[in-house]
Amino acid sequence: MKTAWPIILLGLVAPALAAEDAARQDGLAWLTKMANASRRLNYSGTFVYQHADRIETSRIVHFVNPAGGEFEKLETLDGPAREVIRTNDQVTCYLPDAKTVLIEKRSARRFPALLPEQMSGVADNYAVSVTGMDRVAGYDCQVVVLEPKDKLRYGHQFCAETRSGLPLRARTLSEKNQPLESFAFTELKIGGSFSRDQVRSRYAAKSRDWKVDHSALVLSDVPADTGWTLTRQPAGFRKLTELKRSIAGRAVMVSHIVYSDGVAAVSVFIEPLPKNRPAQSLSHQGAVNIYVRPVADHMVTVLGETPAATVMQIANSLEFRGGRGK
Amino acid sequence: MDKISEWMDGELSGHQTREQLTRVKQDAELHHCWNLFHLIGDVMRGETALSRDFEQRVAARLASEPAVLAPRTRVSTRFATYALSAAASVSAVALVAWIAFFMNPLAPQPDLAQAPTTPPPAAAPSEQLASVPSDGKMNEYLIAHQEFSPSTEIQGLAPYIRGVSSSHQVEGR
Repeated sequence: MKTAWPIILLGLVAPALAAEDAARQDGLAWLTKMANASRRLNYSGTFVYQHADRIETSRIVHFVNPAGGEFEKLETLDGPAREVIRTNDQVTCYLPDAKTVLIEKRSARRFPALLPEQMSGVADNYAVSVTGMDRVAGYDCQVVVLEPKDKLRYGHQFCAETRSGLPLRARTLSEKNQPLESFAFTELKIGGSFSRDQVRSRYAAKSRDWKVDHSALVLSDVPADTGWTLTRQPAGFRKLTELKRSIAGRAVMVSHIVYSDGVAAVSVFIEPLPKNRPAQSLSHQGAVNIYVRPVADHMVTVLGETPAATVMQIANSLEFRGGRGK
Repeated sequence: MDKISEWMDGELSGHQTREQLTRVKQDAELHHCWNLFHLIGDVMRGETALSRDFEQRVAARLASEPAVLAPRTRVSTRFATYALSAAASVSAVALVAWIAFFMNPLAPQPDLAQAPTTPPPAAAPSEQLASVPSDGKMNEYLIAHQEFSPSTEIQGLAPYIRGVSSSHQVEGR
């Protein structure tokens, strides 16, 4: 009889553990599905973006042609008219009120898909669960929740269309589980065949005599050892990349290091101290916190979609260890 | 206005608080500002209950109302900047943020000339540092950051929403 107890207990606990693991795997699979769906599906719809006290509505059309090329058109429905056309890596923005066309050639996206190691980061740092069903824009969707395992990151809640996995709603949640920002489709059509016309700008012809601005062209980024490291890297964050780059409005190259926990990322920018020494400052934009502090003769700017404490911890543990970069 | 945010953050002394209270009572713009700060705070903390069909209803209302392009007051300019830069913020595909950057007439060049000339106390990081809404000067960094954020991949469409955020005022609720 005595020996039976552990077996009974094991019998009770094991299925619970297995169920938990299955739920996590399920959640991770949904994340991958969402990432793929938004890049590979044809869809068109209207969505609402809500942050602080503002609500904004926009329309998006996304097509993938048979060769795998991506075409996207985004137009704002409130306020000044703006239209963005993306054709693979070229982005063109039409600003009718300023009669201006802005063109940017982007480097290839650095994260073509969610990498397996990224996924393990997600599972290590967030409790991933598939919690139930909801309905958005007339579609049934699966609710996927990423609950942070500590206070170094925010929570996320998604609702992915049941069949395709297209994210219909996404929310970023504060430490108190309150929404910091959210987006949601209000009307959506999934599928449909590729139509070049639908992803063409309505200003294409009209804009021939508009001003064309290339000044936002992203200059080449050079992977580099910047010589800077963290003495106290926040738990769960790993260095994703380190490079020297140009930044709009800066004459000099800026060191840029990115840390990530698989979902959120924090960027560190280091540049020579400007003539007027900046005061340390903390600010926020939506779910992003930004911390600026002078370190010796450098100005350090750290920002990311994490709580302020995480951003500050990274900024405050930054140290120059020497190396080729400076 | 800065005093108001300090006040809200509980950083003013009793005497200063009374002084501000008098000012807010007398100055309509400050009073409006005070209300707005609180409304934003409430919404940010999620204390304003939003019903489930809120987004749909607002979208419907927006669709049925003409966009009102009212001249900006000092207060609304501040918030327009804030909101636009909030749009430029988030973890997202750089392109959209880049657009928001261009959209924001107040954002552009890093205006370091306006930085305080008095040297701040040497980097003694205070956890109490009050966070203020960003003034749009960080947009270049946000843009550079977004390209690398993995949440871009998961959220799919979200980046776009953030980036095309407009600068017009939603009429106060």
